[in-house]
Amino acid sequence: MRDARVLLISVFAPLVIVPGYILVMQWIGNSEEQRLEDTVYEYALSGDEAEWGGEIVSAALALEANDPDTSQALARFERQQVTNADSLLESGEIHLVVEALSPEAYERSRAEETTTDTLDPEEDEGAPEIEEGSDGGTASELQLPIIRLRFRSNSDFSRRAHDRLDARIREVRSELRDSVYLAGGFPVGREEFASVETENTASAEKEGGALLGMALTPFLLLLMLSGGSIMAVDAITGEKERGTLETLLTSAASRSEIVAAKQMGIIAVGVVVVVINVLNLLAYPVLGLLELPENLAVALSPLDLVLILILFLPLTVLISSTLLLISGYAKSYKEYQIYFLPLFLVFLVPSLAGILPGLDLRSAIALVPIAGVGVAVREIMVAEYDWLFLAIAFASTAAASWWASRLTQRTLLTERLISSSDLDEADLLGGPALFPRHVLRWFVGMWVVFFLAAIWVGGELTLQGQIILNLVVIFLGGSLLMVRRYGLDPRKVFALRPVHPVVLLAVLVGIPAAYLTGVGLSTLVNAYLFPVPQSVLEAFGEVMLDDELPLWQLVFFICVMPGILEELAFRGVLLHGLRKTWSPVIVCLVTGGIFGLFHVDLFRLIPTAYLGVIFAAVVLLTGSIFPVMLWHFGNNAFALIPAHMGWVTEETVFPEWVFAIAFVALLVVFWIIWKVSTPYPDLKKKRPDAFG
Amino acid sequence: MAIANVKVEGLQKSFWDESRGEVRAVDGIDFDCQPGEVFGLLGANGAGKTTTLRMLATILKPTGGSASLNGYDVLADPEAVRRSLGFYSASTALYPRLTGRETLEFFARINGYPANQVAQRVEELIDRFGIREYAGARVGKLSSGMKQKISIARTIVHDPPILIFDEPTVGLDVMAALEMQNVVHELRDEGKAIIFSTHIMSEAEKLCDRIGIIHQGRILALGTLEEHRQATGKHYLEDVFVHEVMQAEDQSAKAKASSGEPGTSL
Repeated sequence: MRDARVLLISVFAPLVIVPGYILVMQWIGNSEEQRLEDTVYEYALSGDEAEWGGEIVSAALALEANDPDTSQALARFERQQVTNADSLLESGEIHLVVEALSPEAYERSRAEETTTDTLDPEEDEGAPEIEEGSDGGTASELQLPIIRLRFRSNSDFSRRAHDRLDARIREVRSELRDSVYLAGGFPVGREEFASVETENTASAEKEGGALLGMALTPFLLLLMLSGGSIMAVDAITGEKERGTLETLLTSAASRSEIVAAKQMGIIAVGVVVVVINVLNLLAYPVLGLLELPENLAVALSPLDLVLILILFLPLTVLISSTLLLISGYAKSYKEYQIYFLPLFLVFLVPSLAGILPGLDLRSAIALVPIAGVGVAVREIMVAEYDWLFLAIAFASTAAASWWASRLTQRTLLTERLISSSDLDEADLLGGPALFPRHVLRWFVGMWVVFFLAAIWVGGELTLQGQIILNLVVIFLGGSLLMVRRYGLDPRKVFALRPVHPVVLLAVLVGIPAAYLTGVGLSTLVNAYLFPVPQSVLEAFGEVMLDDELPLWQLVFFICVMPGILEELAFRGVLLHGLRKTWSPVIVCLVTGGIFGLFHVDLFRLIPTAYLGVIFAAVVLLTGSIFPVMLWHFGNNAFALIPAHMGWVTEETVFPEWVFAIAFVALLVVFWIIWKVSTPYPDLKKKRPDAFG
Repeated sequence: MAIANVKVEGLQKSFWDESRGEVRAVDGIDFDCQPGEVFGLLGANGAGKTTTLRMLATILKPTGGSASLNGYDVLADPEAVRRSLGFYSASTALYPRLTGRETLEFFARINGYPANQVAQRVEELIDRFGIREYAGARVGKLSSGMKQKISIARTIVHDPPILIFDEPTVGLDVMAALEMQNVVHELRDEGKAIIFSTHIMSEAEKLCDRIGIIHQGRILALGTLEEHRQATGKHYLEDVFVHEVMQAEDQSAKAKASSGEPGTSL
C-alpha cells in the first residue's frame, strides 16, 4: 500500500473523476438544452390540403405562443415555402413536414407506401387525423382531411419539433371537438367533465428511499469489488509474481491465519474505498456544487442503518473471499484480470434484483445470495419489510460467503499455489487423480447438451429416438469419453463388482417398496408443498399408455436401457468421481440431485432425485452397480407394466396403509443390505488436513 | 547427540504427468542431519533436491514415507516444523516495499519469536551482517548482494535449530558465493543442523560434512567425502559423482533389459 500509484489510481482518481464526470455531463446537458431552446424549428407544408393544414398549424402555434406555463421554454417555428419538402427533410434543411391530405390523397399515399418502402420508417402512423365540420359521424364516412407529421427521429431537433407540434395539434383537435360537442348541446364544458386529479400518498422519504434503495446495493458492490480488488490482486497473485509466496509459506504462520489476514486486508481496503467514494459523492451536494433531484429525501432510523450494515456484512465477506480465491487461482496479474470481469458480472447481475419492477417472487429472491440482500435493502429504505425476508436474505448470502470462504481456504491449502509458480502444471496431478476435480464439469457439459438436445430435436424424435440420443449418445458416450480421457479403470469406475446374493433378493423386495414409498411421498409433496398440474400427470401417463409400441419395446426402451445406461453414468462415473469429495451421505444427496436435474422437468425432479439418492446409497453400501441396475429396471417396470395393462389408472387411489407398509419394507431392505454390506472402496476418510 | 534433528525415512513424492503417467520426483529417500552438521544434497537439476527440501518445509505434501524436523512430523505438525526451520532458496524473495529492518521484524513476528525481544534480535542481526547502512531503505532499491544479506538474516531471524539452503549460491558472483559459504560455516559452528543442496561439486566438497548423491529421486550414495573416495576409488568428488550416476544408469538399463523392456542408451 506504499505504492503511490495505487493510492493515486484507487483513491484520488475517483475523487476527481466522479465529480468531474458529473459536472461535465451537467454542462453538456444544459448546453444541449440551450441549443434546443435557441433553435427556430423550420417546417414546410405539403399535401393537397396544405392551406387547411396551415390553419391548423397556426392555431397550434398560437397555443404554444400563449402557453401560461413558463417552466418550459417556448418553441419557435418558422414556415418555409418550399416545393420539395420531403427531400429537404431528408437532407436536414428543415425539421418537419406538415402534410395535409384529402382522404383520397391519403388513401393513395397509403397504398403506395404498402408497395414501396417509405422514406421515413419512423413516420408517426398515429398522426392526428383532424375532423372538420360540425356534424357527428366517423371520419371515414365524412371523408375528412388528414394531417400527417413527417420528421426524422435521428435528429434531436427534428424529433423535438415533432413532439412539440404534435402535442399542440392534438390540443387544437380536442378544442375543436369540444366546440363541436358544445354546439351540439353537450351539457358540460371540457374542464368540468370527469376531471381527474392525482395525489401521491408516498412521502418524499419513501420515494427517495425507493430510488436510492434500488441503486445502493449495486453501487456499493461495484465500489467494494473494484476497491477490494486493489488489495486482492496483490494478496496472492502478487506474491507469486514477486516470488515472496514461498518465503511466506515457509514461515510458521498457519495457512488459515494467512487467509484470514489477507481477507481482512481486502475488506479493509474495500471498505475504505467505499467510504471515501461515498463521502466524495455526498460532499458535492452538501457543498452545493451539485443539485440533487427534488424530493430526494431519505429517512432512515438508526435501526434501519444497522440492519443495512448487517445485511452488507456477509456480502463483504463474500466479495473478499471470492476475490482472494481468484487471486490464488491466477498465476499472474494478467490472469487475475481475465477472471475478474466474469466475476464482476456474476456479482453485479443479482445485485440488480432491487431494480426489477414489481418483484413477485419475493420469497424466492431472498434465497438467491446477493439478490436477496439487494431487495431487502430496498425494502428497508422504503420502510416496508418483514423480518423473515431479511433473515432469509441474510442467511442465503451468509451461507454463500461461508462456502466461498471455505473454498478459498481449501484452495489456498493446495500445492497448486506454490507449484504453479514454478512447476509445470501437468506435473501436479492428472489422470485418475484429476478426474474427481473435473467430474462435475463433465456432467454440467452433459446436462447442457441434454437440455439443448431436448429443446432442438426433442420434439421431432420418436420415443426410441429420444432414449437412444439421451442414454446412448449422451450418457454412455460421455461416460466412455471420461474413462478414456482420464485413463480410468472401467471395472472401478462402473463399480463392476460381484455382489452378495442376499442383496439381490432384498432388491426384489425393495423395488415395490421404494416405488410405493415414492408414490406416497409424491402424494404428500403434491398435497402440501408443490402441487403438480393435472396436465403434467396426464402427459406422463400417456407415455406409459403408448399403444403404438409393443410392450416388449416399451420394456426395452423404458426399463432395460435406463436400468443399464443411466446407472453406468450416474451411479458409475458420477459416483466414482465424487466418492472422495464429500462424506458418503452428501455424495448420495448430490448424485441424487444431479440425477433429478437430468430429468429436466420440475415436477419429476423430486421423485427422480429420491430414487437417485436410494440408488447411490445402495451402490455405496454394496460396492457394486449390479443391484441398482436390477432395482432401476424393476422400478421402471413397476411403473410401466401395470399402467400399460390398465391394472392401475390415474384414478387408482392406494389406501394409506399401503404406503406405510412400503416404507417399513424399504427400511428393512436397507437394513439387510447394510448387514451384508461390502462398502464402496476408497471413500472420503475423516482425517484432519495435515496442512491446515 | 542422540536426537537426530532432521530425520527422513522412505520419503516419496509422485506427480501425475499427462504424457509420462506417474512420475516419482522423489522415490523413497533416507537421510538424517545432526546439530552442528552440514548435510549436502548433491545432484543435477531435476534430481529431486528441491522437491525433497520443499517437503521438509511442508509446502509440498509427501505421498509416502515420513520426515521429522526437531522431533515434529511434517504431516502431523507442519506449523511446529516451520517454526523450527529457516528456509532459504533462490525463489524465496523479499517484499520489495518493506525496508530491511521491517522485513526482519515481520518475519521474526510471523515465526513466533518472543515479541519483546524482536527489536533486539533485529539489531543484532543488522550488526552481524553489516547491513546497518541500508537497513532503513526499501529492499526493492537494494543491490542483489545487499538483498542476499538481508535474505540470510531473514532466514535465521527466529533463531531456528534447523536451516535449509536450497541452491543458495545459484546466480551469485564469486565473492557473494564465498560470503554465503562463510555464513553456512558460522551457523554450523553455532550448532545448527544445516541441509545444503547444490549441483556445484567444489561447493559440496568444501562445505559439507556428509554428502548424499541424489539422482532421479533416489540417494545413490551417502557418506563423508572420505567414505565416498574409499567406496569408489576416485579422488575428486566430481569423479565420485559421475561414477555413482553411471553405475546407477547401468543398473537400470540392465534391469529394463532383463524385464524385456527396451533399454535406455546412455
